[in-house]
Amino acid sequence: MTNILEVKDLCVEVDGQKLLHGIDLTIPDGEIHALLGPNGCGKTTLMMVVMGYPEYRVIQGQILFNGEDITELDITERARLGIGISQQRPPTIAGVKLQQVLDFIIAQAPKRVDEIDGLVRAVHMERFLDRDVNADLSGGEIKRSELLQLLVTQPRFAMLDEPDSGVDLEALSLVGNMANALLAKEPGQSEHRKSGLIITHTGQILDCVHADKAHIMLNGQIGCSGPSRILLDKIRKYGYEECIRCILRRREE
Amino acid sequence: MKVQNDRSTENRSGPDLNPDHFLTEPDTPRSAMISPDQVAPVDRGVMASLGVYMTGEDRAGTYILRDFHPLCLVAGSDDVELLPIADALMRYDWLREKYYWRAVPIDLDEYTARCALASEPQGYFIRVKKGAKVSFPVQACLYISRRDIIQTSHNVVILEENSELHLITGCATGPGVGTGTHLGVSECYIGKHAKLTHTMIHSWGPEVEVRPRSGTIVEDRGTFVSNYVSLRPAKSIQTDPCTWLNGEGSSAKYSTIILGARGSTIDNGGTVYLNGEGSSAELAHRAVCTGGRICQKGLLIGNAPCRAHVDCAGMVLDAGEDGFIEAVPGLRALHSDARMSHEASIGKIAPEQVAYLQSRGMEEREAISLIIRGFLDADIEGLSPELDARIAEISKLAGHGEE
Repeated sequence: MTNILEVKDLCVEVDGQKLLHGIDLTIPDGEIHALLGPNGCGKTTLMMVVMGYPEYRVIQGQILFNGEDITELDITERARLGIGISQQRPPTIAGVKLQQVLDFIIAQAPKRVDEIDGLVRAVHMERFLDRDVNADLSGGEIKRSELLQLLVTQPRFAMLDEPDSGVDLEALSLVGNMANALLAKEPGQSEHRKSGLIITHTGQILDCVHADKAHIMLNGQIGCSGPSRILLDKIRKYGYEECIRCILRRREE
Repeated sequence: MKVQNDRSTENRSGPDLNPDHFLTEPDTPRSAMISPDQVAPVDRGVMASLGVYMTGEDRAGTYILRDFHPLCLVAGSDDVELLPIADALMRYDWLREKYYWRAVPIDLDEYTARCALASEPQGYFIRVKKGAKVSFPVQACLYISRRDIIQTSHNVVILEENSELHLITGCATGPGVGTGTHLGVSECYIGKHAKLTHTMIHSWGPEVEVRPRSGTIVEDRGTFVSNYVSLRPAKSIQTDPCTWLNGEGSSAKYSTIILGARGSTIDNGGTVYLNGEGSSAELAHRAVCTGGRICQKGLLIGNAPCRAHVDCAGMVLDAGEDGFIEAVPGLRALHSDARMSHEASIGKIAPEQVAYLQSRGMEEREAISLIIRGFLDADIEGLSPELDARIAEISKLAGHGEE
């Protein structure tokens, strides 16, 4: 099986501050991985650097996508290779409507107009199309807007940053359905799921979306990897504090 | 006539012009006008880029001034009278008595003086009859096809009671015409319950200097909507269109969109006198600076119970060391019940916004253009297709730098 994403010994800094310290992460094609960890441990940084945000500067290491070194590619090039991101706190863009963003995507695939209209209705986003992107949206509405854009873009590899934060239970079900639709089988490949990386602090989204594997981050490093259900159960039972103690203990050994 | 010679008064502001070596009077006689389909293809292309179409479809009238003479005139509706101003002055004595040089003082500055002293006034006269709601726009083009001339125009627009008109005026130089001067006087009279929407689009050569002088008088419940777009920066533009909201409940809305580039100086004002009880005004200036100097001014003068707001917003993009935007919103309340407010902001495009759109697959330039477009048309209500197309073009130009 090929790997959709390989991150090798990645060190990253932002504004001169080193935030990631030698990350190694491999996600095989067709797998969904979860990234767990306490606030501020570097989960979002990893996602943003994989997407190619320029303020996240790679000072060491490599990022491979489907075997191709993308470390030097810009965001557009990575998006066009099939990487997509749903941000936790995306920027508001005054004057730019969600419809205009969708129109841009539709222009690349004009045959999908009806399908995209159906998607918009299915996730109840019709009334947000004429609003400025991400302006005055609740937490759940932001998640839906972000996931809708990804559903329309159809990336091969989707990264979801905290899709369950700030979302009530009812909305979580819809967000979970959207995430499952996003990561479902690729068209024409009956056995093949899309690939993804899901950041979650609480793990709630993993009750809706199956993840093959989970990784726990701590202080800019991946401290532990394993089956997502087992790791999540331990975190829920003992909390991140015990998790951190365990990781530090193992490092000392 | 108060003006004895064209140096008798000083220009109010803006860089001094020294166009003495330019041709100021026609060197050829006025010839018979042609039909729109006889306009040269190269000129038609420029005019179309301003929203002035020679097909005449969806237009209630067409007037083209080329250099010193009217080139083309089509009056397509009984409700709208459209004439060269010289012809209108000969036909109607009341025009000179009641309207000509009544909304713009003849001795305002050197440039009004030059217009007044032209051997034959050029420009258009438009009168919309009482109660007529003109469904299609009237279009006019003030076009300079030769280098090194001073084109003067004097336009008078009269909307009689309860009438409506959308006027599109495109002003441009032809291909390869880098130098020249345009001095334009526009006087608009908006009657009771009448509404004028005036969309003016400028696209001048890089060394052209432009001094428009405009005055609009609005009666009871009349409405004036002014949309001004400067698509390609001239060497200098200096203007301060004035509106007198004399009527009870009269209103004005100015939306201006300016693209500045290296070497250009654009001083764009707007003064509104709120004299009528319950009158209201809104000025929204939007500027994108890729170099050069842009000064956005707006002055609201409240002489009665009124509401008014002025907003100057600028975006600076890779403007070099000399490029800047200066925003000067102004308020003058002369009545205790004048409710007036202003705001100003200048900034650059947030990189995270560009990156966000790139993450959806847009090229960086496409993302910048889309953001600029959002910035420019955020506050314009009911964009016409003409204005929408020009804003799209200006966004693309600004987003793509100087290529």
